[in-house]
Amino acid sequence: MAFPARHALDEAWPASSASGPGAILATLPTGSVWQANRIAHSQSEARPSGFAALDRELPGGGWPSGALIELLLERPGAGELSLLLPLLGRTPAERWIAWVAPPLLPYPPALLRAGVPLSRLLLIQPRRSEDALWAARQAAASGSCSAVLAWMQKLDNAALRRLQLAAEDSATPVFLFRPRSAGGQASPSPLRLALSPAGEQLRIDILKRRGPPPARPVMLTIHRDLQRDPIRTGLRLAS
Amino acid sequence: MLWLAILLPALPLQVFTRGARADTAIAVTASRAQTCILAASPFATAAGVRPGQRSASALALLPELQLHARAPEREARALHEIASWAGRFTPRLSLSPPDAVLLEIGSCLRLFGNAPLIEAEVQAGLRELGFEAHTACAPTALAARWFARANGRSPTAADWLDALEHLPLDVLGDEDGCDATTLALLAGLGLRTLAELHRLPAAGLARRGAQAAVHCLARARGETPDPRPWFEVDESFDCGLALPAPTHHAEALLFAARRLFASLGGWLRARHAAIDHCRLLLEHEYQPATALELVLGSPSQDESRLLLIARERLGTLQLAADVSGLRLLAEHTLAAATSSTDLFDDSGRVREQADLLLDRLRARLGRDRVSQLRALPDHRPEAAWAGLPHPPAGRTGARAVVAKGTLPAWHLPATDRLRPLWLLPTPRSVDPDAFVLLSEAERIECGWWDEQPVCRDYYLARDTRQALCWIYQCLDKPQAWYLHGYFG
Repeated sequence: MAFPARHALDEAWPASSASGPGAILATLPTGSVWQANRIAHSQSEARPSGFAALDRELPGGGWPSGALIELLLERPGAGELSLLLPLLGRTPAERWIAWVAPPLLPYPPALLRAGVPLSRLLLIQPRRSEDALWAARQAAASGSCSAVLAWMQKLDNAALRRLQLAAEDSATPVFLFRPRSAGGQASPSPLRLALSPAGEQLRIDILKRRGPPPARPVMLTIHRDLQRDPIRTGLRLAS
Repeated sequence: MLWLAILLPALPLQVFTRGARADTAIAVTASRAQTCILAASPFATAAGVRPGQRSASALALLPELQLHARAPEREARALHEIASWAGRFTPRLSLSPPDAVLLEIGSCLRLFGNAPLIEAEVQAGLRELGFEAHTACAPTALAARWFARANGRSPTAADWLDALEHLPLDVLGDEDGCDATTLALLAGLGLRTLAELHRLPAAGLARRGAQAAVHCLARARGETPDPRPWFEVDESFDCGLALPAPTHHAEALLFAARRLFASLGGWLRARHAAIDHCRLLLEHEYQPATALELVLGSPSQDESRLLLIARERLGTLQLAADVSGLRLLAEHTLAAATSSTDLFDDSGRVREQADLLLDRLRARLGRDRVSQLRALPDHRPEAAWAGLPHPPAGRTGARAVVAKGTLPAWHLPATDRLRPLWLLPTPRSVDPDAFVLLSEAERIECGWWDEQPVCRDYYLARDTRQALCWIYQCLDKPQAWYLHGYFG
């Protein structure tokens, strides 16, 4: 994406001009307008991701609370769960974390160790893909989930839009895990991240956000405990 | 007690006209063999079609007239449907075949305000269902029925007995009260109103074979009890209507479907239930019916939401043949979400929603498809977890005790050890050369007590695409390496 409009606007209305777009925009309520050359403030409250480097790059400073968030990755195991662990650990007592059609078993001992409340975890394994979509939409629309994690292979635009609307209406973040190849498909999701593993680190390419494209990918050290405390983990890192 | 009678004098005709617009010419004949016109729609009446006419003459007057033979079973179903719908007003109602439903509204006056308000609401609701009815209120069921039959006006509470006396004698023939010979006998005596009948000595009338008339009058006046069987609202909803002529126009279908959805709304309110899906069957004459599944995002009592979905579906539907009738089916009701408003805290509502979500997921996907996970105290990775259907069946079982944390600490799951977030359901055989080992081995050697011993060395490893994996070497077979999880 390129943003030629920025320079065009700046030339037409110098920032000092009283009648410039800056002055007009200043009169509008904050949050209702965002300029494409800046990172947007999210209208809804954002939830900190737990990773400062990522929060800096996300509009609103965290995961948007009512949006469809696409996470694109080649295969499970890139570090996608570790990325969400801080968020999942803060689940309120009466809300679910819905897992719709995960490709592998989310391993309870590891989740427990990471501080995810297992009693709030709802594992939904539909037989058919259309049921998975239905379940994800229901979970998102019910407003009783603190987050919905859904794994889907093929989705058309209408289905994505329905998910996005359900997420918006109920202010529930819906994390949709899709294959990397889906990155080429247009999507109504306001935030799309491509994840790739890099050893103990996770590489995040922000494909789409409300704001300019980032200059470089975000590198997160997600397996912190692995490095911090290898003895207590029962493992010693081989030199 | 206060009874409201819903009387449908034109029911034989209305079972055919309710799905059609007002400008449709429809007439009903007494039966297939008898071709006399029994009743005709207003449009046909305006063209000169009269009850009692031969069908040939009616057709000569109005060639587009649609003739239907009277369908008693349809009328019975329609009456049943009206009773189900009327359950939204009062739980105490009674069928009074062939053409009336009686509602005991004395117990719900305060809820609705007063009897005239209920009457007006019933009338408006029935028009939505596609029926025109006479209604009247009276302290006894039979009197209410008679008032509805005679003029459709309710008497005032003070002088209802006087008003009853002024009713013509014909009302006695209602609801298998008196047979034709009794009525003829009374007419022969020169009686015209109930007042005249009431003045005659009962014993003398009984001797002359008019016992039934005396009994009826006593019941109507409330002098002898008149027990009525209460109508039970059905567990599932199944109502249909015939279209006057086969059609494939979405608007025409929707017009008819609106009647059924109005009926569904009444049924739901009667049962204090909500539904999240229902099925609309489009019946064809010579083909199996086309079924439309209408699914709502959240359970609702509001039939207009379903109607909206039906409109969209009908608009895009490709029909194989013209539709001759509609049928609406609904079952699996859910408890209607009654919202208690809390000023500050919405956690109660969230909890309700959470339960509701679980119900709906289980109802559609099956109980075994929605589960919860639990960690178990076992060193073998594949035995250290369990999936439990929700809610956990054995609350008193050992697992529940573990969850409560009442067992000693050494019994708790080994959460201090590094475990992968993703576990493969079955370990996958891999080539160890493709991995870089990042840690020393963690030996897991146990399980001798339940015939599933394991003896493995687990390693943290990095695969060729830089993902962190959990792999193990099987110590029984040193060449065998397996991938067991991803650190995700």
